[in-house]
Amino acid sequence: MAAAETKKLSKKRKAAQEEEETPAPPPSAFPQEVGLEMGSEDEGEEGEDVSDDGEVDEFPEIDARSDTEDEAEDGDEEDDESEEDVDEEEEEDLDEDDDSDASEESLHVWPKPKTVVSDITGQPKRVYPEIEPEYDSDSSTEDTPNRVGNIPMHWYDDLPHVGYDINGKKVLRPARGDELDKFLKTVEDPESWTSAFDKNLQMDKPLTAEELDIIRRLQEGENPDANYDPYEPTVEWFTGKGKEEVMPLSAAPEPKRRWVPSKWEKQKVMKIVRAIRQGRILPNKPKTANNQPQFYAIWNDEAPTGPAPPPAPKPRLPGHAESYNPPEEYLPTPEERAKWEATDPEDREREHLPQKYSALRLVPAYDNFIKERFNRQLDLYLAPRVQRVKLQIDPESLIPKLPSPSSLRPFPVYRSLQVPHADVRVRAISVSPDGQWVVSGDESGVVRLWEVIVGKEVKRWTFKSKVGAIEWCPRTDVSFFAVAVEDHIHFVIPPNIPGPVLTATQNVLAPATLPPPPANPSPVKWSSVPASQSSSDSPILTLSLPSSPEPPKQLVWHRKGDYLASVSEGQGGVWIHQVSRRHSQAPFKKVKGTVQLVLFHPTKPHFFVATQRYVRMYNLAEQTLLKTLTPGIRWISSMDVHPSGDHLIVGGYDRKLCWFDLELSDKPYKILRYHSRALRSVHFHPTYPLFASSSDDGSIQIFHARVYNDLMTNPLIVPLKILRGHTVREGLGVFSVRWVPRQPWLVSAGADGQVSVWCS
Amino acid sequence: MASTSGSEPTHPVVFTTQTPYPLPSQKFMIPASWKRYQLSQLVNKALSLPKPIPFEFLVRGEILRGTLAEWCTEHGVGEEETLEIEYFESVVPPQRMSSLPHEDWVSSISCQLPGYFLTASYDGALRIFDYSQKLVQSIPAHQAAATSACIVPSSTPESVLIASASHDLTARLTRVDLSSSNAEQQAPHAETVASLHLHTAPLSSVAASQTHILTSSWDGLIGLFDVNIPETDEVPLDAADGAVENRKKRRKIATEDGEAAQPRPKRKAPAAVLKSHTARVSRVVFGRGADSKNAYSCGMDSTVRTWDVENGVCTSTITAANKPFLDLALTVSGNSALAASTDRTVSQYDLRAATTSTTTPSVASLMHPATPSCVAAAAPPSDSSSAVNAAAAEHQLVTGAYDGVVRLWDLRSTKSAVASFKAFEGREGGKKILSVDWARGMVGVGGEGGVEVWKVGEGERGLSS
Repeated sequence: MAAAETKKLSKKRKAAQEEEETPAPPPSAFPQEVGLEMGSEDEGEEGEDVSDDGEVDEFPEIDARSDTEDEAEDGDEEDDESEEDVDEEEEEDLDEDDDSDASEESLHVWPKPKTVVSDITGQPKRVYPEIEPEYDSDSSTEDTPNRVGNIPMHWYDDLPHVGYDINGKKVLRPARGDELDKFLKTVEDPESWTSAFDKNLQMDKPLTAEELDIIRRLQEGENPDANYDPYEPTVEWFTGKGKEEVMPLSAAPEPKRRWVPSKWEKQKVMKIVRAIRQGRILPNKPKTANNQPQFYAIWNDEAPTGPAPPPAPKPRLPGHAESYNPPEEYLPTPEERAKWEATDPEDREREHLPQKYSALRLVPAYDNFIKERFNRQLDLYLAPRVQRVKLQIDPESLIPKLPSPSSLRPFPVYRSLQVPHADVRVRAISVSPDGQWVVSGDESGVVRLWEVIVGKEVKRWTFKSKVGAIEWCPRTDVSFFAVAVEDHIHFVIPPNIPGPVLTATQNVLAPATLPPPPANPSPVKWSSVPASQSSSDSPILTLSLPSSPEPPKQLVWHRKGDYLASVSEGQGGVWIHQVSRRHSQAPFKKVKGTVQLVLFHPTKPHFFVATQRYVRMYNLAEQTLLKTLTPGIRWISSMDVHPSGDHLIVGGYDRKLCWFDLELSDKPYKILRYHSRALRSVHFHPTYPLFASSSDDGSIQIFHARVYNDLMTNPLIVPLKILRGHTVREGLGVFSVRWVPRQPWLVSAGADGQVSVWCS
Repeated sequence: MASTSGSEPTHPVVFTTQTPYPLPSQKFMIPASWKRYQLSQLVNKALSLPKPIPFEFLVRGEILRGTLAEWCTEHGVGEEETLEIEYFESVVPPQRMSSLPHEDWVSSISCQLPGYFLTASYDGALRIFDYSQKLVQSIPAHQAAATSACIVPSSTPESVLIASASHDLTARLTRVDLSSSNAEQQAPHAETVASLHLHTAPLSSVAASQTHILTSSWDGLIGLFDVNIPETDEVPLDAADGAVENRKKRRKIATEDGEAAQPRPKRKAPAAVLKSHTARVSRVVFGRGADSKNAYSCGMDSTVRTWDVENGVCTSTITAANKPFLDLALTVSGNSALAASTDRTVSQYDLRAATTSTTTPSVASLMHPATPSCVAAAAPPSDSSSAVNAAAAEHQLVTGAYDGVVRLWDLRSTKSAVASFKAFEGREGGKKILSVDWARGMVGVGGEGGVEVWKVGEGERGLSS
């Protein structure tokens, strides 16, 4: 406070001196200043100060309270001066000396020398004001006696001094009053509230005016810098009245386009006009499309149903193997490494071989980084985000829906009885058309006649050689069967038939008056026993075929029972015998391949001939070849035609059974391969929708075969039952199966010498 | 009763019976480990019968074979559930009495003639045996296999009239005088008196009542003949037939070492033809009762038909699904028919049931492992005193099957046979049984191996009397 006191005093004194010594400034320089100060008279002491002193610039120490105003005044003065300068350049040039002084006075704050007339010499001399050491110097450096620096002062808490001065003397701790003294001080000393504790000196020091001003500015939220003027006036250098550019910058003549209408624009406009006229452009678009409101309720739309789109595929997380320091067991052996390197990158099980580094900083840059990132991007970009519906196919559903066999009853399920044939292979069986009797012929030449139900042999015939085929005549008004033995076909009448039937049979087979011999006699000889001498013990009629090593292997009757076809081994083995005319003829002069089987069509005059691989269908009436069926079987063993005549089944030695729809195609409609060995015989049931196949594996398979009248519906074939019971002997199983007419029963003849009846 | 041992688990049981030995209808706690024997003892003791009668026990329609506990665990019956056990007199195990060897298969056996067995064989001969297994008479009645033979009930021991059917399309009536057969070493006089001509296919069976004879044939016809022997041929001799017959006869005469030529049997025409079957008729029988007007037949067309014999019309038809019937028998009461079919079942049909539906469900079905070829119900008790047996006999039947096993069934227990025995044991080859007949506690079994006679008790009483 004392310092401030002295400062003020010195300031006043200096001002007084200046008033006295300096000549008055030129009145033109400050005309407004006076006015200004006049205007700001009410500002109080400072204004008085200024008016008193006359020289504001003289004071380096600006009073905090009037600082801004002074500065503003300074600015105003300078502005005015500059304006005056612009205006009166020449004048200033003239009295440069005086002005320079004046300007120096106003610009420089340091002490100016005074020119005085020396008392001694009488010469003017410059006298500088005496330098007051306290004036204008940094009090912080001068006044602070304590030179300990910026250290925590609590280090001196226990000491009597608070530091050292510049001379190394101890600066003693000033006496500090207690709280009561403090209180009294605040009451007594009006400046105590503007003082703050100076920790360096360990005493309260009064704040300077600038510091108080900074505090005030901070409190009011102003810029703490007192020199900052937020409201500086704008200076218009190039704009404003009288500064407009009126002259063009270039002397180029104005281009024509400025005033001539554009030809191209006109063309464009005309184009649009034409388009409008022609209606290609609608100038006023109908607003109907836009009639609908542009806003819509975004919540009205139902959320997309179905599962949410699947998330992006996740990259595989690294495991122990990807570690830079994996456990030993993860490290590949040299063989593994070699193998890994040998395989193509696409085929590698893992993309990365574990490698061990002792420290993380030794790990080199990953060479596959770019490639991996790229692949990852491809994954993200190309991975389809649609939910892939996994095909949930129940394997059961792929199996065709077939009715349950139990719903397709009746069919044979068990062996009711068996008739033994003394351990001789039974190759031929036939069931009488009324379904009551069975004739079975074995390889020793024995033909037995027995009841289907009881199995009791009623009669037995013994022929000289093995029986190749046996077939019951399908006629119901007569009753006889044909037996093929050696080169002969014997016609035998069974016993115990009613008299009228017997007579009719005898008349058919051994008529009293023989029909006239045919024009071209065939090599087949017909010889019959007269009816009066005939009996059931011996054949009534015998046909002698051309000699062949084997007996005819097949006999087949036409439906009407007049024609009988026989097939023997070798070329030209097919004969068709007509009983009523007692005439035999060979229908084929030459047949490609050996004929395996022949068959009469049940309704039409068609004739099936099966060679080793093909089945040919002939029209006997027109003597033409109708069809050639290719079953795809290497060796056909058996064949039967459906009672409707539209379907044919063919069995082969290569285990296959083919079903032909004769209306449909030359290729099989279905190929069944259920047997494990060669098929031997197939047979359709005359009335029930059944067929059976027998095989060398000793089994008989029963199928349900329903043929629909509707041509569009395919036949339904359902495997029903496998009948086992025949023993396989020398690789031969069941030679022949025949259905019992009118009943769902099956008769089978096997290589084991047994003839079995299978009942439902 | 004696089940107070405490530690043993017991089972609550209620006994019912149709026999004249009823127990009080109260709940018994029976030890679960008891078997038939203990239960039978219990019933006997509880009723304090003077003579012990063995009983069989039916638990829910099944004959108790093991212990009660075993049955319960097998059927998942809890300990607390009350079981209703029906009991009836048990059948003593059948015993083989005699064997009558035949050269050929025996197609039919009849035990209806007291003291004698009548058999028909596939060699065409009818044979009469007495109970001492002695062949009394062998009648070469047919040239072809004889399929069936029966005794006309009106016959007296002096003149027994035998009807037989054959494969030779005829049935024949043969008169045999058995009264003179008591004298030793003298073959009784046998004479084929008539041949019944109707059928055009082998005959399958013949049945006789007091006044009429029924023949069934493979041609689906049933012929009705009366038993009167005509004086002259009613059917003219057709040429071919006659020729064959003459020739056969000649040969036969030649073979029968000079025996005097018998007079040719008179040819007899049917009184009526019962025509309704569509396939082979396998069996025809008269209804029970001496003056029954009804006849029943079964056939391969899976039907059992009831005939009004007097009017010759089919009164009702029982149609089964896919059951070609092989044999038919009537129960003692005559109310239900037992028909054996080739689907290995013997089915019981109620003949009184109205035939409304297309297929008639069977009352009971007895499953066989092989084709049951023949069935015979228990004969009605001969003496009127055994009303007891009538009830038991109502439920009993024997069946013979192609596997050579004769089974005795109780219709109350259809799951398995009450008893079974193997006929023709020790014979090589087939053992098919073709015919069974059951009368007077004896079951005659005819088949591939000849004839066997077995003693099958119709309850205790039947044997004891």
